[in-house]
Parts: sequence; structure tokens; C-alpha cells
Amino acid sequence: MTNQSSPKRFIQWFDPRNRQVGSWAFILNRITALGLTLYLFLHLIALGNLARGPEAYNNFIALAKTPLIKFGEMLVIAAGIIHGLNGIRIALTSFGIGVRHQRALFIAVMVLSITGILIFTISMVRH
Amino acid sequence: MRSSNPHIIVIGAGFTGCATAHDLALRGFRVTVLERGDIANGTSGRTHGLLHSGARYCVTDQDAAIECIEENILLRKIAAQCIEYNGGLFVALDEEDEAYGTRFEQGAQKCGIPIERLTGNQARKKEPNLTPKTRLAYSVPDGVFDPLRLAMAFAATAKKNGAEFLTYHEVTGFDFDGKGNIREVSAINRHTNEKIKFTADMVINATGAWAGLVARLAGVTVDVIPTPGVMVCYDQRLVQRVINRLCEPDDGDILIPQRRMVVIGTTSFEVEDVDYIPVTPAQVELMHQKAAELVPAVAATHQRGAYMSARPLIGSTTLGRSLSRTFKCYHHQETDGIGGLVTITGGKATTCRVMAEKTVDLVCNLMGVSRSCETREVVLDSYRDYYTHS
Amino acid sequence: MNQPLWKITVNVLRQKGPTDKPHFQSFPLEIHPDEYVLDAIEKIWAFQDRSLTFRHACHHATCGACGMRVNGKEKLTCITSLHTVVKNNGVLKIEPLRNFPVLSDLVVDMGHLYRQTEEADFQQVVPLEAAQLPYEITPNRTPNEPYERLVDCIECGLCVSACPAAFTSTDYRGPAALAAIQQGIAFAPNEVLFDLADHENGVWRCHSAFECTEVCPSNVDPGWRIMNLRRRVIHHRISRVFKKSQKVSRP
Ligand SMILES: Cc1cc2nc3c(=O)[nH]c(=O)nc-3n(C[C@H](O)[C@H](O)[C@H](O)COP(=O)(O)OP(=O)(O)OC[C@H]3O[C@@H](n4cnc5c(N)ncnc54)[C@H](O)[C@@H]3O)c2cc1C
Ligand code: SF4
Ligand code: FES
Repeated sequence: MTNQSSPKRFIQWFDPRNRQVGSWAFILNRITALGLTLYLFLHLIALGNLARGPEAYNNFIALAKTPLIKFGEMLVIAAGIIHGLNGIRIALTSFGIGVRHQRALFIAVMVLSITGILIFTISMVRH
Repeated sequence: MRSSNPHIIVIGAGFTGCATAHDLALRGFRVTVLERGDIANGTSGRTHGLLHSGARYCVTDQDAAIECIEENILLRKIAAQCIEYNGGLFVALDEEDEAYGTRFEQGAQKCGIPIERLTGNQARKKEPNLTPKTRLAYSVPDGVFDPLRLAMAFAATAKKNGAEFLTYHEVTGFDFDGKGNIREVSAINRHTNEKIKFTADMVINATGAWAGLVARLAGVTVDVIPTPGVMVCYDQRLVQRVINRLCEPDDGDILIPQRRMVVIGTTSFEVEDVDYIPVTPAQVELMHQKAAELVPAVAATHQRGAYMSARPLIGSTTLGRSLSRTFKCYHHQETDGIGGLVTITGGKATTCRVMAEKTVDLVCNLMGVSRSCETREVVLDSYRDYYTHS
Repeated sequence: MNQPLWKITVNVLRQKGPTDKPHFQSFPLEIHPDEYVLDAIEKIWAFQDRSLTFRHACHHATCGACGMRVNGKEKLTCITSLHTVVKNNGVLKIEPLRNFPVLSDLVVDMGHLYRQTEEADFQQVVPLEAAQLPYEITPNRTPNEPYERLVDCIECGLCVSACPAAFTSTDYRGPAALAAIQQGIAFAPNEVLFDLADHENGVWRCHSAFECTEVCPSNVDPGWRIMNLRRRVIHHRISRVFKKSQKVSRP
């Protein structure tokens, strides 16, 4: 039906050129969803490892305290916040609420997300 | 059975070509339409869009007026799917217009066009955006059509009845059988640049303003003078009816509503090259002024676009506008000794069905086929069936 | 008004036949900046390259034939003034619409879209009130006669070309057809239309990017209509369940 191959079409998903606010939301939602799914996998694998005994547990806790992993966790939280809030925006518009203000809603979602992420980062750094 | 039927090639898929293909298919001919662009990419797509009631010509050209009102009623019946049928007003703004009113009334009566006289106030009640200068007005049964969809509706119905539409096929020449009869039409498929030949029992040249050029490929002369007109469209539907100035046909004296817009037209001048005619700012400005005289709100409305197309006016020496606008059908056997070629040109969108009827009558006559025209009764299929009927 | 002509370069994505590889060809052009993108293309065809193919008919935004991508954005080329998309001595990029098969150069096959609006039994001529968007402020001069008019949607396909959900699934009904269904249901609700809408390739495939509304040249607001249709579909489902349980509970 279309004139493009599927990989190219898949890439178009993430191509923000010439697109509007709504597509940015779309792209962010896709990226955060992929990120969260990946995290879920890693999380399950890690949990599986824990069952191998106390040594494994200690090693894991040590690993979990490295800055890289901390940063990763922060990303997960950020993704969760963005995806969740944008999900609320989509749910609202799907019920016909605020469709004509979807841009403003998206901006509100982003402002809220950034505030949330900042709060989390600060509290994480403090601990 | 079907394959033994005569094969007719129609060149051009404007209103004339599509209506002709429809009529031919209904009468059982095998039909192939060759069009160098898409449906209605020539003059037909770019018309003003007025389904004439005939009132505009009821003083100056009564033959055309009678033809228009008859076809107006018929198209309303067979092509309602793409016509806004809200009527129109002829509006008098000064004494001269008022004086024309008497002749207008007589003319309309003579041509059988139902009109109703309204005072300025009555007219403004119907159309609040009309200028307060309105002195009197006549309501007439004008309509507005969507050009592409009207042509496609004819094409869709023709397709259902077996006609083949080859768009993006440009006719490049003709081959003769040695006795002066056309036997083959050469064309180029513009999608692929392939050259193709088609045999035909009869060729109908329905290329409108290009009819002279296509006829020249067969070595015959057809006298069409391309007379373009400019139209300007605006972003708001300021009126619901067609608004005409009550005066002799002039530049910029018709304003039509269409979808969410109003479209103003038109001018008339003559050109030689029809393939690209630029719109000049001066003409746009003229349209703007003329329209604002009728509907002052136009002045404050955002302009959406301006466009231009060329009428296929027929005739020899007289100037564009005063020529009769009815169509002409040339049988080149009689005029030039070339067999198997008929040219149909002139006319209006509103009268495309009757142009087709007359042409196909002629073709039937020439081929010894006796089947009468049915296009008055057959309601056209949905224009979208152009894509579903294969 | 007597501005000098601009010199621009038009890069057109060309392709002859389905097997040809698409490639850009550039055309230098002198043209008045107030002319439209479609005029530029027609001028190239008329004076430089007769083999260039493109779709067009009305030249005033009523037929929907002339949709293309201009500098990557979906535009109705007949009403897009050159000066809004290119500068003097600048470059203009013209490509065919996405999500439709290319027949050649800038010509795409719109059959899919037309068949889907037909399936939705989308009428082009409707009563004046029905043609407006429900949230629009109706002019206070309420028409006192039963006027009719052509609807806003001109079936140009710009929305389909811009839609990220249409990139991935060719079975997706797409914004234009869903907007058509919404208008049909708003006018006269019926089961056939609800079944078309309440389907994985119907309203539920929309991913709320609202690109359709962004590019629609004709005030259809397909994004709003799809969301409105979702609400109607949910409503319809609930009332169907309700009716069924009523039937069951009756002795
Ligand atoms: C400015 C203006 C406003 C008008 N307004 C109205 C109006 O409001 N109401 C009304 O009723 N009428 C109106 N008309 C008149 C009406 O539009 C025309 O009479 C009508 O469109 C002519 O249709 P056609 O099919 O004969 O020509 P066209 O539509 O021009 O069709 C000819 C076709 O032939 C094709 N062709 C050319 N050469 C070749 C070739 N070598 N091979 C294959 N195909 C070829 C072209 O691509 C074209 O599609 C208006 C005309 C103009 C100019
Ligand atoms: S909804 Fe708008 S963009 Fe989509 S086809 Fe209709 S007019 Fe074109
Ligand atoms: S040519 Fe008809 S919409 Fe542009």
C-alpha cells in the first residue's frame, strides 16, 4: 500500500522534522515506553539473580549504589513521570476533554514532569 | 457481443470528455478516454463553479440561456451529490442596473427561467452581507458545483458501463489508413514514458481550449480562441447564494459561495499559449474591487487564492465576450475530408451533458447505430466509484 | 505590486514507473513570489520538462487534488504562496504525499482514501449547519432557509500523509475516513458506522499526535473529530450493554 519499506516507516516514527507539538508528545511517549519496557526486563533479570543467595544480594546492592545505575534509575523515574502524565493527557483527550487545547496540555505535562523529575533528582542526590 | 461494438477514443477528460464517455458507454460503445493529466486538470477543474440558471444570458444570448436552464434542472437531478443548490440573486446597485431589470425580466420569462423580484430590503434579509446600496434583486435558480467531483461522477458512471479511462496518457499523433481516415491514435503514457498506439473506429477530440492543437496533429484546423479568466477566492462563506450583478455580463460580476469560501469571477481576454497563464496582481485587484461593491465584507476577508483558466471559445474574428457561448461540433469528414474524427468544443460546464448528447447523436448517425440518449434519466454514480469500478 | 521575479531552485522528487528509484531533480525557476507552489510546478511542466507529472484540478482549495510535501510539510500547493515557503534565491523541496502509492513523480494513487470515505457513506453536500464544526460559534444571523453546502473535507489526503499511525499500519482507516465517520454519526447515528469506528483499525489506532489537524487545509479538525468519535463509540458501547441487560432482565 505505501511507497516505503517498513524500517524506513519505523524510523519515521521518531523523525521530528517538520512535525508539531503533538508529534513530540507521540515520540516522547514511544521512547519512554520502550525505555520502561527495557527497564522492566532488566529489573526482572536482576531480581532473578537475587535469589542466588546473600553474596549475590550484597554484590547487587553495591552495584545499585554506583552513580551510573543511579543515573539510570533517574531516567526510569523521568520516563515513568512523562509517560504517566502524558497518558493522562491522552486519556482526557480521548474522552473529548481538552482536545482543542492538547498543545497547552502537553506543555503543562512537560512542566509538571520536569518539576517532578527535579524534585526526585534532588532528593536522590541528597540521600 | 461487446467486442464487436465500435470502439471510440475520446481525447480529454474534462467535463466534455467525461460526459461524452458516459453517453457513449450508455449507448453500448466501447470507449477509451485518453487524458494527458488527471481528470479535470484542464479548464474544467478551474472553472468558477457556477451551475448557471441561464439568467446571466437571458438578455444577451437566449439560446445559451434556454440550454442552461434545461441542463441546470437535469444536472440537479442526476448530479445532486456535488451541487450546492441554494439559488442566486441578481442585484441592482444603481439606476443603470435597475433599467436593465426590465429587459432582464422579459428575457427570463421568454427563456422559461423562474425568477422572483425582491426589494433591496428583502434581498438583504436573505443575504445580510449584501451591500446596503442594493436597490432591487431577482432570485434565480443558480447553483454551485464542485468541479472535480462533477467530472468524476460522469467518469465513474461511464466506467461502470465499461468505459476505460487512461489518465496521464498524452495523445501525440494520428495514423491514417491511406484513404484519409484515422485508424490509430499514438499516445505516451506519462507515468512510464512508454509509447502506445490505439486503434479506433472513431476519435472524439474533446480537448477544450487545446482542441485546436490536437486537431493540428491530424492536420486540420479548428478555430478555438483560448480566452482565460481570473478568479479569486476568499476565506469565508459570506453569502449562501450566488450573487450576480444585474447588468450585461461584465468582469468580476459574479460571487459564488463554495464550501467555506466565496469565489469571485471573472475576466475575459485572449491568449495564445494555454499551458501556463500567469495571474496578474492587477486582475486580482480588479476582482477584489468588483466583489466588494456587491458584498463589502469581502474587503476585510482574507484572500485564500487566485487562479486562472482558459475558455475554449469558438469563433473567428469577433472579440471573446460577445461570442455565443454555445458549443460547436466539427465533423472533420465534412469540413476537412478527414474521416473518423469529430471535435467538440466550446460550451460550458453546465451544458456538458447536452454537448455530449449532440456529439454522440452525430457519432451514432455516422456509424449507423440507432440508440437514443439516456443521460437525462440516469442518475450518476458516486464520484468515488471512479476508484472502485475497475 | 510590481515586485521583480524571484529566482528559486525547485527540487522535485521524481520517479517514473513503480520500479524506478526515486531521485531529486532540480529546476531553476524565475517566478513571482505571490504565485503559488502549484503554479511553480505547472510552470516547470510548461516550459522546462513536459514529462513531469502532478495532480491538480481546481487551483482554489476545493478539490483536494494538489496535496504534496513542500519542504517536508504537507501542503495544498494551490493555495500555498511561494513567499511563505521559500526566499529569493532559495531552494524549494517538493515530494509526493506519504502513505499513498506513488504512480509517478508527484502523482499518488488516492483510491484507498476515496474508497474509505465511500465506505463511510460520506456525503459531500449536507445541510449548512451540519457542515460546521460543533464547537464553532455559529454566526448570529441564523439562516432562515434550508441551505446546503459542500462539506469541508476535500479528500486531499494531507492528514493521512502526516499521520504517524498511518506510517505503521496500512490497514488503519486514517484521519480523513474517521472524521468522515464522525460526521456521519453526528448527523444520523447508525450501526454500520459504529462498527467501522469501533475497531482496532478504527478510532483505537489513533495515537493522538494531532498532526492531521495541524496539516488539514480545510478546517476539518480530524483530530478533534476522532476524539469525539471515541467518546461516541464508548457511549454507544455502554448503551448497547445496557439495552442487552434490559432485554435479559425482562421475563
Ligand atoms: C474562467 C472560467 C470560468 C468558467 N466558469 C464557468 C462556470 O461558472 N459555469 C460553467 O458552467 N462553465 C464555466 N466555464 C466554462 C467551462 O469551464 C468550460 O467550458 C469547460 O470546462 C470546458 O470543458 P472541456 O472538457 O471542453 O475542456 P477541458 O476541461 O479543458 O478539458 C480538455 C482536456 O483535454 C486534455 N488534453 C489536452 N491536450 C491533450 C492531449 N494531447 N492528449 C490528451 N489529453 C489532452 C487536457 O488535459 C484537458 O483535461 C468557465 C470557463 C472559464 C475559463
Ligand atoms: S480531513 Fe482535512 S487533510 Fe484530511 S483529507 Fe479531509 S481536508 Fe484533507
Ligand atoms: S488543485 Fe484543487 S485543491 Fe488544490
